[in-house]
Amino acid sequence: MATSPALDVPAEPPLKRRKVSPEPPDITTQVADLAEQLDAQERKKYVKGAKLGSGQYADVFSAHLVSDPTKLVAIKKIKVGPEVKEFGISYDSLREIKFLQELDHPNIIKLHAVFSTKNQNLNLVLEHLPQGDLLKLIQDVGGVQYTSADIKSWMLMLLRATHFCHKNNILHRDIKPNNLLIAADGSIKLADFGLARSMADPFQPMTYNTITIWYRPPELFFQAQHYGGQVDVWSCGCVFAELVAREVMFRAWPETEINMVKMICEKVGTPTEENWPGVSKLRGYVTPTEFVPLRPRDQWLASFRTIGEQGVDLLVKMLTLDPRQRLSAEGVLRHEFWTSEPRPSRLKDLPRRGGGVETMGEDLTQRGAELPRQNGRADKVARKIDFGAMK
Amino acid sequence: MTQTLTEDDIYRTSTQFRLWSFSPESLAALRKQTHDLAITRARQYAVDADIRDGKKDVDCLRRDEELRLVQRYCEQIRTTSDHFKWPVHVKATAVQYLRRFYLSNSVHTYPPKEIYKTVLFLACKTEATHMTLSEYARRISTDPDVILAPEYKIMQALRFTLDVRQPYRGLKGVLMEMLNMANGMVGEVEGVDTKGARELQQDMLTLEHPGTQATTPWKAPGSRKIDGKTLVERINAAYSAARTLLDGPALLTDVHFLYTPSQILLAALHLADEPLASLYLMTKLPLKSDARPKILATIAACADIIGNFSTKQILSKAERADLETRLERCRDPSTKDLVKTHAAAKRGSESDEEVKVQKRKAAREKHQKEGDDLFGPNLGGGRG
Ligand SMILES: Nc1ncnc2c1ncn2[C@@H]1O[C@H](COP(=O)(O)OP(=O)(O)OP(=O)(O)O)[C@@H](O)[C@H]1O
Repeated sequence: MATSPALDVPAEPPLKRRKVSPEPPDITTQVADLAEQLDAQERKKYVKGAKLGSGQYADVFSAHLVSDPTKLVAIKKIKVGPEVKEFGISYDSLREIKFLQELDHPNIIKLHAVFSTKNQNLNLVLEHLPQGDLLKLIQDVGGVQYTSADIKSWMLMLLRATHFCHKNNILHRDIKPNNLLIAADGSIKLADFGLARSMADPFQPMTYNTITIWYRPPELFFQAQHYGGQVDVWSCGCVFAELVAREVMFRAWPETEINMVKMICEKVGTPTEENWPGVSKLRGYVTPTEFVPLRPRDQWLASFRTIGEQGVDLLVKMLTLDPRQRLSAEGVLRHEFWTSEPRPSRLKDLPRRGGGVETMGEDLTQRGAELPRQNGRADKVARKIDFGAMK
Repeated sequence: MTQTLTEDDIYRTSTQFRLWSFSPESLAALRKQTHDLAITRARQYAVDADIRDGKKDVDCLRRDEELRLVQRYCEQIRTTSDHFKWPVHVKATAVQYLRRFYLSNSVHTYPPKEIYKTVLFLACKTEATHMTLSEYARRISTDPDVILAPEYKIMQALRFTLDVRQPYRGLKGVLMEMLNMANGMVGEVEGVDTKGARELQQDMLTLEHPGTQATTPWKAPGSRKIDGKTLVERINAAYSAARTLLDGPALLTDVHFLYTPSQILLAALHLADEPLASLYLMTKLPLKSDARPKILATIAACADIIGNFSTKQILSKAERADLETRLERCRDPSTKDLVKTHAAAKRGSESDEEVKVQKRKAAREKHQKEGDDLFGPNLGGGRG
């Protein structure tokens, strides 16, 4: 093996490191460095309260501002597990932090700040979203009724969030109902950016092993390594169908990739060179022997009647097999569905779980407005000039 | 319904613009503050009583020496990343992480020798490049614990912002656009006098040749007018010359703190093949535009910094060794054993940890003001 140029740097001899320093340095002479001070300042802004929940990688606590107890936040404390030994700070938390720091949109969970405790634990200060997630609403069949106008409203928020990610060159890669959290005002927020990534340059391969299996588009089962925003659009289409049917659109059992492909073939049609030019060249291309023609429109209509013809047209275009023919997030937003009757429900009219729970306090004032703030003149220079990055 | 956001609107919401863009003055002030704080500290922990009493000066690195040492490790990151054949984004991100780290930390507190490997590993993770810690550690012959120890410290100094905006994709976009122009495929550009696709193509074919200062390897044929094929060669050569500047000098100077990615890539193109860059800009910026002089001046200023860079500025091995020997004599003893500190923190609090925290807290409060000034609204933010 060739030697690394890093070897060029004299390594700290291990002996030296292990030698005990003669005296513990006098603490009083120590001055916290500036970044540490800022970190501490941030940490001291919040009063931590009850645990809201706990996931595989994190515990989430309710908290409020010291300066204003009515301002609630959620603090997500990343667990330090044994995998730290092999990776250090996990890919998941780094991705979540990296992307949420850049995204400021009313339908994307807001990351207000990050701080560390004992220089070891990462704490994400997130928008407080007390109403659970969309999955809980969908599953509460007995308790929550909703209309096609409600579905339209939720889908519109989801698509705006998705489009905004794509505009920022970010693929979410894990869109599903339990990652859509509900705010006190009823709006939904796309959360969990642990699998997100920047859109790669056209020639740089990406992993196909991503997105929760039920929401994963066919190109990823076929191991495409070059893909774009259309993967998220497929997932959005699955959410759309699930909202209507109140059950998962593609739910293979047992949950294997091959069963998923089979299910997609049964419910949408078998991917072939005819409906998806080039598909047979994808590395993982396999389809069940039994060929299923593309599902005809009237069958779609029969299953998804409640969202109307426009709605079904949109759904079909989101669940199109060939990613190149599938709508982009922008294309979805341009569809007539949104402007046709019924109008999307207003936030305050959207159904809640458990029926109109009192809001648990104001969310922190949102920094996110629909349009980025315009500030200053220097901007003009940059605006005029930033055309290069458009490609 | 679909609001239109320009690329630039998006850039202005980025953490790079909000937290890591400076005017030359504010950048210098920030570094001075960090340096001064380190010197004050060095007086306190000095072994020599005369230094502590102020009778003698501390022999610390000067500000320019600190900068050059950091620059040397930016170069180290470049070569290491290239050695691993990692994508360019990894190295550009890592270099910028290192530079950002040393805005709030002095090399006296954290020598770059102990930081740069971690920074590179972190960038590798945030830029979706996979290598396990054990493999990375093995290949750079470093103890994995040594790589992990400063990771949280670095996250903190980066103020938990990890995204670094880069000029590479933008440059590629400019290349595509110029090739389209050369093929007569770009016609009217809104609000600009280009007279149409044919004219634009003609203008390109009869364009002045690059000057002697240009970095493009393209050699002009005898006559001013060239054919289509030669034009394409010229464009490709300009692109790769610009790319070389972005890969090297642009990463070893302060331009990423001072300019936007698109300003940087245009500056690089300007240095590569000035007439070509000007023609391209002409199609983007109306001659009559009020903003034009300012934009051109900005690009020129950025090009100056990149153009003035020479590899001779990078410390030689001997010079680096020299500086590091001096550094060792006045380095902060409290941060010397990061592995131990890291392990202690991981184990949670020993009883004396609490005391430490209290004392540190007092010290912190005392120095709060410096912190406020340092990252306060007067310094950060966009360039005026
Ligand atoms: N912003 C928030 N506001 C209020 N509660 C939240 C918020 N974020 C998360 N929670 C609660 O904390 C729980 C854990 O969240 P987390 O995102 O860590 O894990 P998860 O997505 O449920 O699980 P995993 O990703 O490990 O499968 C959630 O189920 C939810 O109840």
